This record gives sequence, structure tokens and C-alpha cells, in this order.
Amino acid sequence: MGIKLGEFANTVRSKNAGVNQVTFDIIFRSPQDYERARKSKALSREAIQKLFGVPPERMSDYVEFDVANAIKFTLYRAKPNGSPGDWDVLGCQQYGPLLEVEIP
Amino acid sequence: MTTKKETLRVLISTGHLGTAPSNPESFHRGMETNPDYVVADGGSSDPGPVYLGANIQLGHFVREELELFLTASRKRNIPLIIGSAGDTGSNKGVDDFVRIIKELGAEHRIPKFKIGYFYSEVPKDYLQRKLAAGKEITGLGGFPTLTMEEIEKASRIVAVAGVHPFIKLLDMGADVIIAGRCGDINFTAAPCIRAGFPDALAYHMGKMIECASLVAEPFMGKETVIGTISQDDIKITPYHPDQRCTVASAAGHSMYERENPYYEYTLGGMLDMRHCKYSQFDERTCRISGAAWAPATELRVKLEGAKKVGERYMGFVGLRDPHVVRHSDQAIEWVRSAVAKRFGNDGYELFFHVFGKNGVLKELEPIKNAQPHEVGIVVEGLAATDELAAKITDFAVRMFFLARIPGVKGTAGTAATTKQTMRSSPGYVWNVNHTVAIDDPMELFPVHMIEAGV
Repeated sequence: MGIKLGEFANTVRSKNAGVNQVTFDIIFRSPQDYERARKSKALSREAIQKLFGVPPERMSDYVEFDVANAIKFTLYRAKPNGSPGDWDVLGCQQYGPLLEVEIP
Repeated sequence: MTTKKETLRVLISTGHLGTAPSNPESFHRGMETNPDYVVADGGSSDPGPVYLGANIQLGHFVREELELFLTASRKRNIPLIIGSAGDTGSNKGVDDFVRIIKELGAEHRIPKFKIGYFYSEVPKDYLQRKLAAGKEITGLGGFPTLTMEEIEKASRIVAVAGVHPFIKLLDMGADVIIAGRCGDINFTAAPCIRAGFPDALAYHMGKMIECASLVAEPFMGKETVIGTISQDDIKITPYHPDQRCTVASAAGHSMYERENPYYEYTLGGMLDMRHCKYSQFDERTCRISGAAWAPATELRVKLEGAKKVGERYMGFVGLRDPHVVRHSDQAIEWVRSAVAKRFGNDGYELFFHVFGKNGVLKELEPIKNAQPHEVGIVVEGLAATDELAAKITDFAVRMFFLARIPGVKGTAGTAATTKQTMRSSPGYVWNVNHTVAIDDPMELFPVHMIEAGV
């Protein structure tokens, strides 16, 4: 039985990492939950690239961060933060679609 | 140097001074424990390039914050260190903060004290000489190598300081330090390193407490935490009674706002957090150890710069006719073509932020077939002159009323609006996000000292 990441994870957030990247943190409640999410591949590199519709070169980093029970990845922005045409200067609302991801 | 201490305690109550006030209850509770230093970060590149480019400040609570910090710290003779003054660390930001501290010193009749400050703006000819001498100014985060032309176009460039000017000013006897742009781990690391604590732990403590209570749980902003450094570890304790710093909150925070959770680069070296250990020290305190510090083989300083791209206006329209909502892309195309017909294709920029569809995520939005019952569109228009930016933006807004979409039933206007097209800040973009090699970590950060108080 699957569960949506919005219910399953403890913290899901996004924020600028420098002026041209946004980093996403998904933090789980326990090592068990973290393992379940990790093994499911629902949040793998490829799954994230597909979700946001970005080519692999737009993902500058992807880490499974055991000590925090977290999956973390970073995307290049289309243009640096606060440029005309950008409406999320802090990058802090980019995580929205992650909450809908189903963890099997 | 003072007698060697076993621990050193640093208090911080805000992750960005002046945006919203620190909550005084936890601040005073922390101050009652007599910390060794009070620190605060005054700035960030997060709010975008407008503030550095236009040399303006973002926060409306700067004076209140500085008043709280200065009066409380002077009363106990605790040094106060403020990083990245005025949001951007521009010379004006530093001068404004120094002036406010002087005024507060006189107003509160604080006994004489020393304000140390340093600047961090970089003269363009300094960088142009570097390029002329064949030194590469290397791009960060996907930026191309810096050119003479882009240096010339920048409205203002600052360099990001390490611990060095802070240590220098403390050695000179500063009671208050107002810093130009600096790495947000460095105003905490500097006094720890100066007091003889290990570099790795000092920088890591800077990293852990830079955003104050965001390191603890549950989520609360603008509450006080104290970091305690020893020769072996750091400990983080929140002072809001309902907050705890846990292994989960501290480890989670260690990856905040950074591309990668393991490495943090600053002027002079790299903090390596791969082997950090987190444990619960007491109910509210997390203990952290195991960071390593790799000194840089070549000193490279980070540069930040912004250039102006035009004057800017914004207008807002709402769509409610289901047919128009379904065809909002067509409405935008119609507006674009109407603007092009009247103003040509060059000399302006127009952006349409379609809220209800993809206003926040733009091309990253996975929901491609949203079916909202209404959408809001912000029209953002830029041009070289104020007059033209206003004219084009307002024209684009008006064209939404007149959008020609086949099959539309309403014939009195295809968009709702109420307010005048509004003047916004000029548009800027980051055009400098680079590093350059320097010989001396102090060379871009001249220090100064003045007296204040009565």
C-alpha cells in the first residue's frame, strides 16, 4: 500500500543553494522509513528528473545522507534567483510537487 | 589574548537581521547566561540581486534589532559581531549600520566603546587588472568565466570575507564589529579560532548556528540559540522553552541551503562534514563532533555582483471565463503579438506569471493540464526607461481585456483588473558569482576603528 510523501516524510523543503541552484531536502522520521523510500526508487535521480522534467545535466548533486535519514538533490535554476521572470527568489516553494510522490 | 578558556559560548537570535525582529524573551533568557559573544547575520544573496545592485536595504527592523543587541551586550560587556551589514555588505550598508550603532550609543548613554568595521566592495579596476594579468575569474554554480565586459556592466561587486578581518578587529580591541559581506559561518568561527579552538569545530559551529533557531525543533524563526565550543565538540542549545536541538534537527540543518551536505567552502579552506557525529547531550542540547578542516592550497575569494537590466513595472489581471481560462496560453500569445505589433520585438522584456497554472514553478511544474476555475496573471515588463517600461507593461495588461480568442462569449472584456499598473524595483541580475585568487586574505577588506558612546 503506497503512501504520499507529504504524509510519509518528516520534512520536505527547497531553498536556494547559492544564486543559481535550488536544493531539495527530504528528511524521514526513521532509518526504516528512509530505507523504504530509498529502496523504492520513487525518489531516485531518474525519478526526480522525470518529475520536474529536467535533463540530467540540470541536476548538480544528488546525495543519500544517512546521518540525517535524508535524500538531498540540487537543481540548476533556469536563471539566477531574482532575475526578471523568476517568482521564487528564495527557491522555497519548489518542493511542492514532491509531496504528491507516492512511496510504494 | 585573554586567559585560555575551556569553552566559548556564542549567542545568536536571527538568521537575517532586520527582516523581522528577534523575539526578546528567548534572547534575554540566553543573555542571562552570560555568553562570550553575541553575533548576527545581516545579509544574504537570497533576496536577489536588486538590493546589491540598487544599494538598498530589505529589512525594516534593523534599528530595533541593533538596539536590542547593542544595549544588552554592552550592559554585560560582551562583544557584538554583525556580518554582511545592510543585507548585501555594501559600503553603504556598513556605513548605515555604523551610524546607527553610534546613534544608539549616544541615545542610551552607553559608556565609551569601540566599533570596528570593514568594507568589502571590490573596485572594478582591481578585477580588470587581475584579468589583464592573466588570472582567471572562475564562475560558480554554472556561471561562465568572468569577462572585462561583465565587470564593466556590474553596478556593484562585493567580496565575501573569511574570518581574517574579524580576528584582526578583535585583536585591535573592537567591542562591536560591523562587517561588509562575509561568509555566514565566519562571524561565529572567528572568535572561536582566535580563542584557540580547532578550526574545524569553529567553522562547523558557525555553520550550525547561522540561522539561529532553525537548527532546533519544532520549526520556529527568530528565537535564540547558543553554540558552545570546546576542544573536542560543539553543543547547540535553544533558549525558547518549547524548542529542542535534536540529532534529527541538527543533522537536518547541517545540509540546509547548500548544494551538498558534506562540504562547505569559505575563504581559506573547506569544512569537511563527512565524518560528523551527532548525539543527544541532554534533553535540549545536541552534541556534534568529527568535522575536519582542509586549508586551501590557493586562496580564492568569492565575488558577488549585480547588473541592471532595466526599469520595471508590474500589472495583475484575473481570468474567470472558463473558456478564457482554458485558453490562457492563447490569451498570452495574443498579448505578446499585440505588443510586438505596437513596440517591435526588441528593447523590452515581458514575463507572464500565470498563478493557478505554473506561476511558481514555471518549466519545472509537473502538472501540465491544470484545470483551475480562475487564474491570475502578473505581467512583468522591463525596458530601458521608466516611461517605456510603464507604457509597455500597461499596454500588455490592457490587451488581456481585448484578447481575441475564438469562441469567447463575453464581449465586454476578457480579463478582470482593479489596480493601476505598479512601478516595481528596477530589474537586476546576478552577473558576478565567481572566485578569484588573492595573495592575502585581508587585501579586499580594509579595517577601521572608531569610538562611540559617552
